[in-house]
Amino acid sequence: MKDGFQGLRLGKWMLGLLKQRAAGLFCFTFLALGLVSLINPAFLAWGNLRDIAVQAAPVCIISCGLMLVLVLGEIDISVGSMMGVLAASMGAMVSATRWGLSPWIAVILTLILGTLMGALNGWLIAYLRVPSIMVTLGMLTALRGVTEVIMGGTWITDLPPGIRYLGTGSWMGLPICLWVCAGVIVLSTWLIHRTPLGRRIFAIGSQPRAAHLAGLPIQRVKFLVFAWTGFLTALATLVSVPQLSVVDSGIGVGMELLVVTCVVVGGTSVSGGTGHLSGVVFAVLLMTMISTLLIFMKLGENATYWSRAIQGLFILGAILLDHLVRSKKSS
Amino acid sequence: MSALQAKQISRSYGGTRALSEVSIELLPGSIHALCGENGAGKSTLIKILSGVETPDSGEVTLNGQPIPLGRVHAVEQIGIVAVHQEPVVFPHLNTVDNLFVGREQSKVGGLWLNKKGMREQACQIMHSLGEAFSLDIPVGQLSLAQRQMVSMGRALLHECRILILDEPTASLSARESRSLFATMDRLQQQGVGILYVSHRLEEVFQLAQQVTILRDGQCAGTQPTSSLSRSELIRMMVGRPVDNPSRQQKKTKSKSDKPILKIRGMRRDPVFQDIHLEVYAGEILGLSGLVGAGRSEIARAIFGLDPVDEGEIWFEGRCLPEGFTIQDTMAMGMAMVPEDRQREGLVLPASVEDNLTLPSLIELSGWMGMHRKPRHEASRSLIEQMGIKTASRASSAQSLSGGNQQKIVLGKWVYRQPRLFILDEPTRGVDVGAKEEVHRMIEQLAAGGSAILLISSDMPEILRLSDRILTLCQGRIKGEIASHEATQEILLQWALPEERDALS
Repeated sequence: MKDGFQGLRLGKWMLGLLKQRAAGLFCFTFLALGLVSLINPAFLAWGNLRDIAVQAAPVCIISCGLMLVLVLGEIDISVGSMMGVLAASMGAMVSATRWGLSPWIAVILTLILGTLMGALNGWLIAYLRVPSIMVTLGMLTALRGVTEVIMGGTWITDLPPGIRYLGTGSWMGLPICLWVCAGVIVLSTWLIHRTPLGRRIFAIGSQPRAAHLAGLPIQRVKFLVFAWTGFLTALATLVSVPQLSVVDSGIGVGMELLVVTCVVVGGTSVSGGTGHLSGVVFAVLLMTMISTLLIFMKLGENATYWSRAIQGLFILGAILLDHLVRSKKSS
Repeated sequence: MSALQAKQISRSYGGTRALSEVSIELLPGSIHALCGENGAGKSTLIKILSGVETPDSGEVTLNGQPIPLGRVHAVEQIGIVAVHQEPVVFPHLNTVDNLFVGREQSKVGGLWLNKKGMREQACQIMHSLGEAFSLDIPVGQLSLAQRQMVSMGRALLHECRILILDEPTASLSARESRSLFATMDRLQQQGVGILYVSHRLEEVFQLAQQVTILRDGQCAGTQPTSSLSRSELIRMMVGRPVDNPSRQQKKTKSKSDKPILKIRGMRRDPVFQDIHLEVYAGEILGLSGLVGAGRSEIARAIFGLDPVDEGEIWFEGRCLPEGFTIQDTMAMGMAMVPEDRQREGLVLPASVEDNLTLPSLIELSGWMGMHRKPRHEASRSLIEQMGIKTASRASSAQSLSGGNQQKIVLGKWVYRQPRLFILDEPTRGVDVGAKEEVHRMIEQLAAGGSAILLISSDMPEILRLSDRILTLCQGRIKGEIASHEATQEILLQWALPEERDALS
C-alpha cells in the first residue's frame, strides 16, 4: 500500500512534467547550453549557434508533418529515403551534365514529386488500409533503391548557383532555411489550432471509433496528412541539400529515426491524440545540439560516436515517460 | 401523422437473427420507450435507426421520406440523432472541440475557426443540460456521467427531429438525471420525437407515452404506458412461460459440506460491491442480471484477471493471497470460459490441436520441450470426448462453427480437470443443437464433481441448468433462490433497478 502511495506521487509529478513538456525541454536545452559554454565558451559564438539552427531547420520542417502523422496514431519512417530520392532527382534535374533544367522548374517539380510520394503512402494507408508501419518500411527500402538508380553510382557535383542559393543564401541576415522553417512552424500552428482539419486530426487520433460514429472523413484526413508530410520533406530537401556542392546517394539516411525521435521526445503520444508543436520544436533543437555539444565538451574523439546512443536513450526515455503517465491516468 | 417509421426491419448476424420484421412508429413531440431483455434486439434496432448498421430488409422513413440507411452523417443531417450507451467522445479533446468536431463553425471558408462563437454555443448547451464543469479540460479527465452529458450535448447541437437515447441514465446521478429529463421535456415541447431505451421501468412509466416491447428480436407489442402496469410490462418482456422439461427433474443434490469456492465481501469499485457467495462441489450456481450488472467483472476478478479492492476468496479451503494472478488460479484448479469466445477464448488462426493443448503445454512437454505424441493423443481424445466436429485436428479454429468453437474452449480446460469452472455466457451465438450439447456437457462436468459458476443472460438456460441462482443488480447481489422455485418474472424483477430518488 505504501508503495502505491509513493507511486501516485511520482505519477503526479510526472504528469505535471508531461503537461509542460515544452517548458521542460526549454529549460533542459538552456541548461545544456549553459553547462557546455562554461566548459568551452566558443560554443556560444554566433557562427556556431547559427550552424546548429541551420542543421536543425530541415529536421524541424519534417517534424511538423510527422507530428501530425503520429497524432493520427500512424507512423511514417520513409521520410529519410524520400529525402534521398528528392535530392537525387533535384540534382539530376539541375545538373548541366544531366537534364539541365532551370532551378525554378526543378524546385516546383521537386515539391510536386515529394507530395506525390507522400500521397502514395497516404493512399495505401488510408484507402487500402495497409498498416502504416508496413507501407513506410517498404518505402524506406524501395525509395533508397530508386535513389541509387537515379545516381547511377556517381556523385552530382555541378549544382548551379541558382539552386545553391537555397542552401547558402540568406535574407535579412538569416539563412533561407531558417525563414522557411519559421514559415512552416507558423503554418502548422495555424493548421492545428485554427482549422477544422487540425481539430479533426486530433479527434481521429484520440478515438477512431468515435470519429467513425461522428461521421468524420477519416480516410481523407489520413491521406492529406501523409501527402502534407511528403510536401514538407521536399521543402526540407530543397533548403538543406544545396548547402553542400555535392549530392550523393546517402542523403537522408537515418533522417526518419532522428525525426521520429524529435517528435516523440517533444511529447507527442505514440498512440495518437496528443502532441504540442512547441515541444517538438525544442526537441529538434536539443537533438541537433547533442552531437555538437559532445564535440565542444572536449571529451575526446570517442565522444562524438556517443551521440547516436544518446539519441536512442532519449527516445526510450520519452516513450517510458509517456507510458508511465498514461498508466497512471487510467488507474 | 408519424415522424419516424420503421417497417419490417430484419437483421441477422452470421446465423443468429437479431431482429425479425420489427416495426415501430414514433410520433413527433412524444417520448416512446423501447423495452426488452438483454439480447432482445434493442441495440441492433437503434444502430439501424441511427445509420450505424444497415438492415437486411425493411425500410425506415422520416415524414414519409426514406432515410439513407447505414450512413451516420447523412442520417444526422436529416435530424435523427442517437446518443449511444457508451458515450462517443474524444478523450484528448476538450468539451468545445468534442461538441463541434466534424461540424466546426469557421470563417473565411474553413480557414479560420470561429472559436469564440463555438465556445459560447457550447457554454449555452452545457448550461442548459445543467452542467457547470470547465469546458477546457480534456474530456478523458471528466467523470463517466459528465462524458455522457458531453455526448448528449453533441446530439443537441444538431437541429434534431428525432432523438434516440440508449440507456442515458445508466451512469448518471439523480441530479444529472433530473436535468436530462428536463431537457427531454423541453425538446418534446419543441416537437422532437424521442426514442427512449431504459431498463429502469419507473422512468419508462414516468416519461413515456408509448412503449414498444421487443422479445427475441421480435416486436411483442406497442402499448400506451397508461394502460400497463409494471408487472404486465415485465410479463410482456419475458413472454409466455417457457416450459423447461428438465427443471422438474432437477436434483436436490446432497451438497458436500465444504464449498469449493467461497467469497466474502468482495469489492471492486465501481463495478461490484459486497459480494458473498459459495459454490459447492457438483453444484451449478447461476449468476443472472442485466448486462452491466457486474457479472462478468466478478468472474474476471475471481479468475485473477482483474484486481480486487477488498474481500476474501477461499478456494478449496485455502485463502487466495493478495494480488493473486491467473497463474495462481489455474494452478489451483480454476478454469474460465470467457464471454467473448472469438477474442478471449480462442486463438482463431491456430489449429484445433493448438487451441486444445494451449493451457496444458507444460504438462505435455518433456525435458526436451514439447512432444508431438502426447499432444496428438490429448487432442484426439478431447475431440472425441467433447464431440467436436472438425475436419482434422490441424484445421484452424476459425473454420469451425460457433458451437464447435465453444466446445474447444471448454475442452481445453477439461483436460486439466479443474475443480471450478467459471462459464461466462457459454452458449452465446451457438445454434440450438450445439447449445443442447454444451448444456449436457456442463451437467456432466457438475456430475463429475466440479463446481460451476454459470453466467448467462439466457433466462431459460440459467433456470434449466442451475441448482441455485443469484441475481445481481448494479454490482450487488439482490437475491438468491433455488432454481425450482425461480421464475423468469422473479429474476427480472430482481435484476431491474428499483425506483430511485431521481423520480421523486
